[in-house]
Amino acid sequence: MDVNFGLFDLWVVSPLIALFLFSILPLTIKVLSQNKEGNPFIPMTIGVLGVVVAAALMGTFRDLGGAVAFQQSLVFDSISSQVGFLVLAVTAVALIFSRENLATKTGQFSEFVFLLLNAAIGMLVVIWSNDLIIAFIGIEMMSLCLYVLIALSREERLSKESAFKYFVLSSFASAIMLYGFAFIYGSVGSTYLNEISTLGASLMGTSYIFLLGVVLSIVGLAFKVALVPFHAWAADVYQGSPTPLTAFMATGVKAVSFVLFARVLMSEVLVAPSAEVLVNALQWLAVMTMMVGNIAAIGQSDFKRMLAYSSVAHSGYVMMGVIAAGLVGGAGAGAGLSAVVFYLVAYSVMTLGAFGMISLLEKREDSQVYIEDLKGLGQRNPWMALFIAVFMLALAGIPPTLGFFGKFYVFMAAIEQQLYWLVFWGLLSSAIGLYYYLRPIVLMYMAEDVRGIDVVGSRHLTSFAVAMTALIVLFAGLLL
Amino acid sequence: MLLSALVFLPLVYAVIIGVLPKTSWIRPTALGLSLLHFVLGLAIFLDFEKGVAALQLVEQRQWLPQFGISYFLGIDGISLWLVILTLAITPLVILGSWTSIENKLKTFHVSIFALLTTMLGSFLAMDAILFYIFFEASLIPMYFMIGIWGGSRRIYATVKFFIYTMVGSLLMLAAIIVLMLMTKAQLGGQMSASLLDFYQLQIGFVAGEFFTTQTLLMFAFALAFAIKVPMFPFHTWLPDAHVEAPTPGSVILAAIMLKMGSYGFMRMAFPLFPDAVEYWAWLFVFASALGIVYGALVAMVQPDMKKLVAYSSVSHMGYVMLGLFAFNIFGMTGGLYQMLNHGISTGALFLLVGMIYERTHSRQIADYGGLAQAAPWFSIVFLIVTMSSIAVPLTNGFVGEFLILLGAFGASKVYGVIAVTGVVLGAAYMLWMVKRVFFGPLSPMLSKYKPEQLDMNLRERVLMAPLVILIFWMGILPNHFLDWSKESIEHLVNNRYGYELSIHEKDGHNGR
Repeated sequence: MDVNFGLFDLWVVSPLIALFLFSILPLTIKVLSQNKEGNPFIPMTIGVLGVVVAAALMGTFRDLGGAVAFQQSLVFDSISSQVGFLVLAVTAVALIFSRENLATKTGQFSEFVFLLLNAAIGMLVVIWSNDLIIAFIGIEMMSLCLYVLIALSREERLSKESAFKYFVLSSFASAIMLYGFAFIYGSVGSTYLNEISTLGASLMGTSYIFLLGVVLSIVGLAFKVALVPFHAWAADVYQGSPTPLTAFMATGVKAVSFVLFARVLMSEVLVAPSAEVLVNALQWLAVMTMMVGNIAAIGQSDFKRMLAYSSVAHSGYVMMGVIAAGLVGGAGAGAGLSAVVFYLVAYSVMTLGAFGMISLLEKREDSQVYIEDLKGLGQRNPWMALFIAVFMLALAGIPPTLGFFGKFYVFMAAIEQQLYWLVFWGLLSSAIGLYYYLRPIVLMYMAEDVRGIDVVGSRHLTSFAVAMTALIVLFAGLLL
Repeated sequence: MLLSALVFLPLVYAVIIGVLPKTSWIRPTALGLSLLHFVLGLAIFLDFEKGVAALQLVEQRQWLPQFGISYFLGIDGISLWLVILTLAITPLVILGSWTSIENKLKTFHVSIFALLTTMLGSFLAMDAILFYIFFEASLIPMYFMIGIWGGSRRIYATVKFFIYTMVGSLLMLAAIIVLMLMTKAQLGGQMSASLLDFYQLQIGFVAGEFFTTQTLLMFAFALAFAIKVPMFPFHTWLPDAHVEAPTPGSVILAAIMLKMGSYGFMRMAFPLFPDAVEYWAWLFVFASALGIVYGALVAMVQPDMKKLVAYSSVSHMGYVMLGLFAFNIFGMTGGLYQMLNHGISTGALFLLVGMIYERTHSRQIADYGGLAQAAPWFSIVFLIVTMSSIAVPLTNGFVGEFLILLGAFGASKVYGVIAVTGVVLGAAYMLWMVKRVFFGPLSPMLSKYKPEQLDMNLRERVLMAPLVILIFWMGILPNHFLDWSKESIEHLVNNRYGYELSIHEKDGHNGR
């Protein structure tokens, strides 16, 4: 295989190169200053700067209309850049949170920045990939960085367990996914997604090997995005990881995995008449995810764990959009996906804000925030309480917040494809979700007993980032 | 611009309240601003033309063009008086909360103004999605109002209120989306969420089958509105919310928020799904009738005054719905008029119960007796409001109930008989309560207080005066009010099938 690529290829991967260069900068500085870790502010600034540069470079090719690079391995359509910007934004916010979170503000912050930016590179590769192998490499790059990042935490017990659990289970899922990819390759004879897409429809009815490949890929991806029944890891890993990383995983990693999920299904695969069983199965996955996520969240006392289950439930809503987009099939799928992308962005903003709030409430690196602790926060710290209330209402999907518009577009896409039962279950589970999203608000503003925790002072950057997300959540839906 | 100003200025007021430096300024400022807003609202009458069924003072702008969602406000005879009622009740509520709300004053008044925005928005929005946003958003301030300043079981009550009403409207959202997709298919390929476009849809209907498009859509809308009204058997959130809510919350809930449900029937369910509504009318009439009788019977045995008033709400709103579902001009007019009456009389009753509770800290009817001797002002006003509530001639309640009875008998004898039973029961529970509270020997609890402690003070008299005036004004000269709505109601009754609403262009001056 001869390696040849042109200027165009270099241009489109320039954000990745920029991210990588900026990621090694803190490490270089550290090595040159006798391996002493300076003020963590400097690596953070470098990291954020890298993200900004990457975003600027990415801004130069906002819409390439599905152009491919590196012999079709990478594809650049509107989703590539939209989710790309989302990934960069999430990375920047996670960096800011990490700088001020006690569990992540370690003596190895330079390494931390390096790993986080490289995870971002992996994520960009995943969403740009038009090739199953490249996608797999991207996923592994992202995951490897995350295992180490979680384990780097200063907190001793839960984070180590969490890193190990994530490592074992995620590798297992990756293996299944790769197995599925292999079957797909075996039956189609290509790893390019656009070729699989065109050949998939006819293979769907005829080749069991192909079907097996698709199903195994779905299982692996379902694990990555925490669809029930492949969600069991999510609560433990989200709870045990340092909060900034939980935010990063719950938003960025999930969004990226969903894009790959959509790209695999985003073929003629679901449109084929013989795919009805598969569509039904996917619908049941979505329904179970929404119901189990929302019902399990009700019973949680740990705030982070509650949000973890809420994030599982939200995977179900996104899945609803993915199915709807998949049923459009072919060329129209891109438009159908815009609801999914909007939902991912909306969900990421609210979830980042909510986890940012938790990060602000953590007193020590190993302190857990219980929902009961929020009692009376409305009096002790009205602004922070207001932000939490905004995020909760948004996650519950109540207008006029961004969360409502996310749900609205997804439901719209699903109804357009006549997935009425799926919509019905979605509505039902949103109703269940109301109960636990309202609980923090009740405790903050309405409880009698007002002893509890407060925001730990002088985390200005995090507070600022949270305030910004709250503003976006409140007004962006109305202005878009 | 007037309607936009009406809807969004309260948010500006909320910000003003938020930045006030002194707590003692909050109440006067809020009262002043709400009065100012009421006066501003009266400016509607300058531009509003009687005798026009079309939509007036229209403002329309594109908002989310890819889905055909627009920022679309308009007013007609159906919404006119509900808007005025909303504007009028708000200053009274603020004045009424002068002494009863003591903590978190800022949050309280900000909530009131947020509520005002969302309630006015619901009555004025002519775009389904815009309507839905206001309709749902109105739950948030009310949720806080009950939850923060409510009674001992406030959290249970407020969560129940929120979830119950939210669940009802979720299906409506799905139905709105279905209608939007229909506009794309039927009206030239462009999606639209405008109600005016919805009215033009041809929605398939098969009599006798439940799973047909129009029937399902109608029930999705009706469920949301029936919970809000509330219609029997979806009323169970109401007694809890009313009893636990602070007085201002109860007043707003009863006087205005319940009307969002009955308004929704008139604005959307009737003209959008005429066949389905007609076919299934018996179900709604049955529920209304049950609500009338059930509400009255349960009210009769309540030992708690506020609960009694809350159940009387169920009964009265049953009347409103019965009138509307008579589908004739009398019933529909009576229904709309009774919405306003109920707003005034039940709002006033909640205010009065709140006043006496503030003094004695008891709402148990058994604790009272002989209040008429101790508190003459209070008793006179209470009696007047009671008369309005039980529809004594010359009060507003009479006009509304009379029209509803006419409508009900016109539609079917059975409806009429049920409605009359309700009138008798209504008189029974209210008068029995009045007898136990105001007459007889002075109760031991009341004898602990001096009469001047018990009777209304100047502020409360000022507060009740407009309500008492309205009770008689609306009772003696109903045409002052009904003339403005007549055209719109007739248009709705006569053209329910093939309903269309146009935009009224005022002499060359384009509303868009």
